[in-house]
Amino acid sequence: MSSILSIQHISKSYGPIQALKDVSFDVPEGCVFGILGPNGSGKTTMLGIVLDVLLADVGNYSWYGGMEHSTARKQIGALLETPNFYHYLSAFDNLEINAAIKQRGHDDRDQVLKQVGLYERKDSKFQTFSLGMKQRLAIGAALLGNPKILVLDEPTNGLDPAGIAEIRELIRQLNKQGITIIIASHMLDEIEKVCTHVAILKKGTLLLHGPVDEVLLSEDQVEVRADNTAQLQQALEAMPGIKKIKLNDNTLQLTCDATVTTAQVNAYCTGMGITLSHLLLRKKSLETKFMELTNQ
Amino acid sequence: MKELLAIEWLKIKRYRTFWILAGLFLLLMPLWNIEVANGMLKFGGNAKGGLNFLSTAYSFPEVWGNLGFWGSIFIMFLSILVIILTTNEYAYRTNRQNIIDGMKRIEFFHAKVALVLLLSVLATVYLFVLGLAFGGVNSGSLSGLFSQFQQVGYFFLLSLDYLGFALFLALWIRRSGLAIGLFLLYSMIIENIARGLLNSMMDKPFGNFLPLQASDELLPFPLMQMAKTMMGSGTGINMTTYATITVAWCAVYYFAGRMLLLRNDW
Repeated sequence: MSSILSIQHISKSYGPIQALKDVSFDVPEGCVFGILGPNGSGKTTMLGIVLDVLLADVGNYSWYGGMEHSTARKQIGALLETPNFYHYLSAFDNLEINAAIKQRGHDDRDQVLKQVGLYERKDSKFQTFSLGMKQRLAIGAALLGNPKILVLDEPTNGLDPAGIAEIRELIRQLNKQGITIIIASHMLDEIEKVCTHVAILKKGTLLLHGPVDEVLLSEDQVEVRADNTAQLQQALEAMPGIKKIKLNDNTLQLTCDATVTTAQVNAYCTGMGITLSHLLLRKKSLETKFMELTNQ
Repeated sequence: MKELLAIEWLKIKRYRTFWILAGLFLLLMPLWNIEVANGMLKFGGNAKGGLNFLSTAYSFPEVWGNLGFWGSIFIMFLSILVIILTTNEYAYRTNRQNIIDGMKRIEFFHAKVALVLLLSVLATVYLFVLGLAFGGVNSGSLSGLFSQFQQVGYFFLLSLDYLGFALFLALWIRRSGLAIGLFLLYSMIIENIARGLLNSMMDKPFGNFLPLQASDELLPFPLMQMAKTMMGSGTGINMTTYATITVAWCAVYYFAGRMLLLRNDW
């Protein structure tokens, strides 16, 4: 997978507040890339910079391996922070402006309005829309002209639970069609449910980034139980790759290297003549991980 | 440029405020001048009598300078329109959206500059049409039509000066109410104070070179011009100087506005 967005050493401050500190990462083509971080961690600043709305103090970025920025943006559908539309124009007329600037998607307007459930209100003025409808229109505008990349900053802001589920489903569908999606959010379960890659920001510093499996699996725990707990513990202490064993009631919680799989644990115990009565891979939830990371 | 103007047109063609302000400009300018020609401003007498000093001002060739002078007041409508259209982008954050959708920052700026140029051209064409109508009716012939025709050009420069100043102010202040307030205060009060101070302190009337005053000097109040010529109290500064300074101010608005937009966060 080649990278579709490459960010190199970007720093940005607002007066005395440093919003981003030397952030670098790549977004591979075809992934769903989640940018996570608490409020004020620099997510929107990051996206604002790669969309040329904000200027970085230091560092640079490239889309599609170095395409001219405004040409690249015409092929990107993006929603940054708030839905931005002309209040006095209808949804349909607003999309005409988006399409005129992008030089694509003029004939998609009906279709995207249907996709985000606003077709019946297409001739209503933007100022008559509720928060959720404004957000839907912004997502619709991002979909104009079949973009290859979608950049979504807090896309579920203002949406009701049904709307949130719809957007999640939409993201999955679009990603299946090969569209790369970059999504910033503080709603962890959102990210966890759809993302293949994450980058975690805290106070402008990139804490970690990479494929969700790698980033999260390294700290996963395996739970095992057998009739003879003491014998099991003794056996596992000798197993390579097991870093820590914790006894909890009569269940052992193993903290393992990333290379250790549940199958290996099972095979090892069987080889030692122990039959496991319980074997479970307990993925650390992103939320737990996130809290651990950002509270350090 | 054409594509940029086409996008600007999409933004304003269904914007009621645009049509109201542009319509008022188109409507009030001739109505006002009809009233002035009919003797609204005169010395002595009642509605029927008295001396109408400006009665000859609507014949060729004086009609150009006279319409141009009144036009410098009506151009305020269009200046406020430019401020509203520009600060709207900030209020709705559509300036950001335009960039996100793929405009370059410089294109966003040039779209507004193109709008200012276009409005100036249209206002000048309108002045020309009004001049033909007033001059034709009052002179009864077209003789002398071109003898002071450079004043139509001065009106174009004046429009560009006012609208360019308004655009710069809007890009700088970003908020509609404050920008309009400052524009009106500056054009009607602050500049006059500054001009008076400068002119009294210096041996040359440098106050006349202030941003909007420079172009106002191109189209002075017709009676004032007559009086000055009669008393020989001219400033000794010719129109070419004022025209050059007006163009220089327009260049300042352009480069300052460009710098603001390219260097700052949006």
